[in-house]
Amino acid sequence: MIPFELAEPRSLKGALKLLDTEDPAVRAFGGCTALMLMMKTGVFQPACLVSLRGVEKKHARVARTRGGLTIGALATLSALEQSAAVRKAAPVITRTLRTLSNVRVRNVATLGGHLAHADPHMDLPPVLIALGAELTAVSLAGERRLAVQDLFTGYYETALAKNELISEVHVPAQDGRRSAYVKCTTRTADDWPTLGIAVALKTDGALIEDARVVVSAATEKPLRMAQAEAVLRGATVTDAVLARAGEAAAAEAELIGDARGSAAYKRELLRVYAARAVKQALAGGGH
Amino acid sequence: MANIQGKTNAGQASFSSIGRSIPRVEARAKVTGRAEYVHNLRLPGMLYGKVHRSTLAHGRIRSIDTSAARAMPGVYAVYTAADIMKLVPDPHYGPAFHDQPVLAIDKVRHVGEPVALVLAADIHVAEAAAQSIIVDYEELPAVFDEIEAMTSKAVVHEVLKPAGTFPDLKHLKDKRDTNIALDFRLRRGDAQKAFAEADHVFEHTFRTQQVLHVPLEPFVTVADPQPNRLDIHTASQSPSFVRIEIARLLGWPESRVRVRVPYLGGGFGAKLYIKIEALTAIAALLAGRPVKIALTMEEQFYQITKHAATLRIKSAVTRDGKITARECEVWWNGGAYADIGPRVTQKSGFTAPGPYDIDHVAIDSYALYTNLPAAGALRGFGIPQLVWGYESHTDMIARALNIDPLAFRRKNILKNGRPQATGTIMQDAGIEKVLERLAERMQWEKPFDHGQGSIRRGRGMAIGFKASISPTTSVAIVNISADGSVMVYCGTVDMGQGSDTAMAQFAAEALGVPVETVTVVHPDTDVTPYDMATLGSRSTYHMGHAVKLAAEDARDKLMQLAQEVGLSAETAPIPDIFRKKYGMQAGNVVGVGSYIPTYASPDAQGQTTNATPFWMIGATGAEVEVDTETGEFKITRLVNLVDVGRPVNPAIVETQISGATLMQLGFTLYERMDFDAGQCTNASLADYKIPGIRDVPAVMENEAVDMVQQSGPFGAKGVGESGTFGVSPAIASAIDDAVGVRLTGLPLTAEAVYRGLRANAGKPLED
Repeated sequence: MIPFELAEPRSLKGALKLLDTEDPAVRAFGGCTALMLMMKTGVFQPACLVSLRGVEKKHARVARTRGGLTIGALATLSALEQSAAVRKAAPVITRTLRTLSNVRVRNVATLGGHLAHADPHMDLPPVLIALGAELTAVSLAGERRLAVQDLFTGYYETALAKNELISEVHVPAQDGRRSAYVKCTTRTADDWPTLGIAVALKTDGALIEDARVVVSAATEKPLRMAQAEAVLRGATVTDAVLARAGEAAAAEAELIGDARGSAAYKRELLRVYAARAVKQALAGGGH
Repeated sequence: MANIQGKTNAGQASFSSIGRSIPRVEARAKVTGRAEYVHNLRLPGMLYGKVHRSTLAHGRIRSIDTSAARAMPGVYAVYTAADIMKLVPDPHYGPAFHDQPVLAIDKVRHVGEPVALVLAADIHVAEAAAQSIIVDYEELPAVFDEIEAMTSKAVVHEVLKPAGTFPDLKHLKDKRDTNIALDFRLRRGDAQKAFAEADHVFEHTFRTQQVLHVPLEPFVTVADPQPNRLDIHTASQSPSFVRIEIARLLGWPESRVRVRVPYLGGGFGAKLYIKIEALTAIAALLAGRPVKIALTMEEQFYQITKHAATLRIKSAVTRDGKITARECEVWWNGGAYADIGPRVTQKSGFTAPGPYDIDHVAIDSYALYTNLPAAGALRGFGIPQLVWGYESHTDMIARALNIDPLAFRRKNILKNGRPQATGTIMQDAGIEKVLERLAERMQWEKPFDHGQGSIRRGRGMAIGFKASISPTTSVAIVNISADGSVMVYCGTVDMGQGSDTAMAQFAAEALGVPVETVTVVHPDTDVTPYDMATLGSRSTYHMGHAVKLAAEDARDKLMQLAQEVGLSAETAPIPDIFRKKYGMQAGNVVGVGSYIPTYASPDAQGQTTNATPFWMIGATGAEVEVDTETGEFKITRLVNLVDVGRPVNPAIVETQISGATLMQLGFTLYERMDFDAGQCTNASLADYKIPGIRDVPAVMENEAVDMVQQSGPFGAKGVGESGTFGVSPAIASAIDDAVGVRLTGLPLTAEAVYRGLRANAGKPLED
């Protein structure tokens, strides 16, 4: 690894000042778990890395707000995994974190970095999209709020400007929505998933009033499956409905083949796992 | 204080040190971070070396532009082959062939081959400078596949250059325009006739993929020039070989080269013979400064790998399931440099028909050069590739003939007293015992629940065997100090397998002293005598013998001393003997032991009366659950049985079995080097996935069967590799048993199972 400058600002504002440059070799990091891999392989050679680890502690806070959650972008994945507030408001996040990469990564990786890196294999983006989460992005010019769904614009690409940082993530109250995230890893248990599916269902007895179905890992970015959602919306769940939802997802997703599986195989996985995710959400009780 | 009551008999009923699970002597130092590794070594004035590597699989070097690197502030030197040759006119090395240049000369033969070296006091400067080197190549046609390499027009080496150490390679000297680095042949009986007369003939082809060792400590060497000498500190499994080979390259006597090896963070066969030592040594001599070269995890993918192999196996079988003949053709993809591949080809090749009693056998085993990173020894030395094939074949025959896999094996199993394919009569090989104990633990003869709905269950078994590399030599020195404490000087490298502990146990047992009084001195060729290498599970047997002989020699001398000074050799405490002799706590008694087993070279037909000093046996039983909707499967139970003779240290034996099994599990399920035009596309642990703790099967049982190796030291023999043998075919057979999908290539992936299910259903999945 070629030497680079390491800046450790004490405030978010200080970090934003350092990042207010056109130089693509100046980058911010939270835990640096993902950037480090790119640096080791030479894909990214930084001139200056801006560590966010020394900024105000409030940016790592996890708080319950009106039944939902407000999570500081610098909260580590371990902190979220162990947070009672998260477990109460959105237990699907807690469950997802238990098998996210490994404990060493979770101990240092931050939620903000996890999202901003925009690697489609990350576990939390599809979950947060299914939960209808939003985020606050800040720059020296001010702040704006956008849906997590709208953050991802492509493979490793986001709607964030070069001088913008994620400061908070907002998870709305789920009001009895039932959620699940299932992932399929075809190699080792701690490998990136071959396919991830998150679902959040608003139900009335056996009737699904509303559904969000999000596919990740096999696609260039996490994507809502509109056709599958349409099949589920207003339906009473039967095996036939689940099969149709799976078919719909398999038909509409643009899947990418790689070392973890061919596109054709991932389509079969998606068909099966979409139905399983819905089943698991319904079986899982609240949230 | 102990007196002298050493025991030496293999068949002896009770021991004081052998057979005890003594905690590893280095355990505390390792968990407290105090164990010595070369990675931690920094010497005054030391320079770091960084390698510029080939980006082409096969190409002629037109020019190397090092001007930018040389101009970079902080760069001490930049070397290419031209510089190396100023010191060493013919800088080719290797254990079987002198085919590997210290830095590429005129052409490159694989992506990642070292072309130039930069030295700098700052490792980052060295790295930046190495990246700035520009090499102009003329691209040459390349060959990657081992079968294509047999007849390919692309030739990796213009001329073959056998090292001269192995008699069966001599006929290849100066051969041109071939990629065949060894054509081993074995013929026993008349296979052709038996096939002609057979009731059934079965033929299958199996493939394994290229994988690698990934020791968590990558290759590292420090070379430190001394007045008229050279010190080399290296993470090597074969310090004696490094010394001999460096001395040969430099034209120096061995005594001017010192090779030191502290602990290794894993070896698995990667760190054998000579790897980055020659480059580091020559760079240090050219620079006149200590030089350290430490490869990154990513660079390990270009250093040494495990052979991808293709095995074609054909059997003649009678109506009632007796195998009468077997024909095996094995093609070993050796990559660009032979390393020890030709020995894999022969030493493992002769076991290709498996542990079965077959009268008519024909084996052809080929070591092939290709334009991929070199392949060498990896935990099993080719055996796992062969067992994968012959045990899959065994189950496919059993299934076709509708014979139970256990019954089929029982009918054909190779028993002690019967000749193996080489003609060598089997002795002390627990093949039958391991098979029977596996059947018992698996409750094979009881009904098995095959599951229902979309979850189907299956089970499989596999058994393999291996000969020891022979003949090889180990020498040890045992030194008894005047207080009765003991030093063992031996060249065996403790790379995590617990050899320091085992050698202390051997010495303690032979001397009749407590194991705590024994210290094992790490390899340092200035101090420790010759040892062939720490490889092929040979140390327990060979170095165990040498240490035992040295201890016995010391004990005899001590008894003589006791007699001389008028004390009872049986009852006098050791310090009393020294005190009486020297008037104070003074003096030493030094014993020497040298061991080489008997051996008979094979004839032109591969026949010999004595192929190996001992046999290693390993078997695995697997139970799996397959999800028929996705092809995903999980291993619910893995039972591993081995014959290690008498276990020297049962706790360490168990971790050797489980460690070997889990390593092979990675090669079975996950690991595969992916290539694009010879470029490895997943050369990092982020993309090349090795098993972690969450991949360990829910139930894993490991057992060493009750056996004694009569010729072994205290009845013991090697243990490091046997756990690998049966893993891959047992799992493949369990999948077949569950869902009727037979996979013939590794790794076994969920997608391959799913595709098999779809093919069986007549609805194949598109590519």
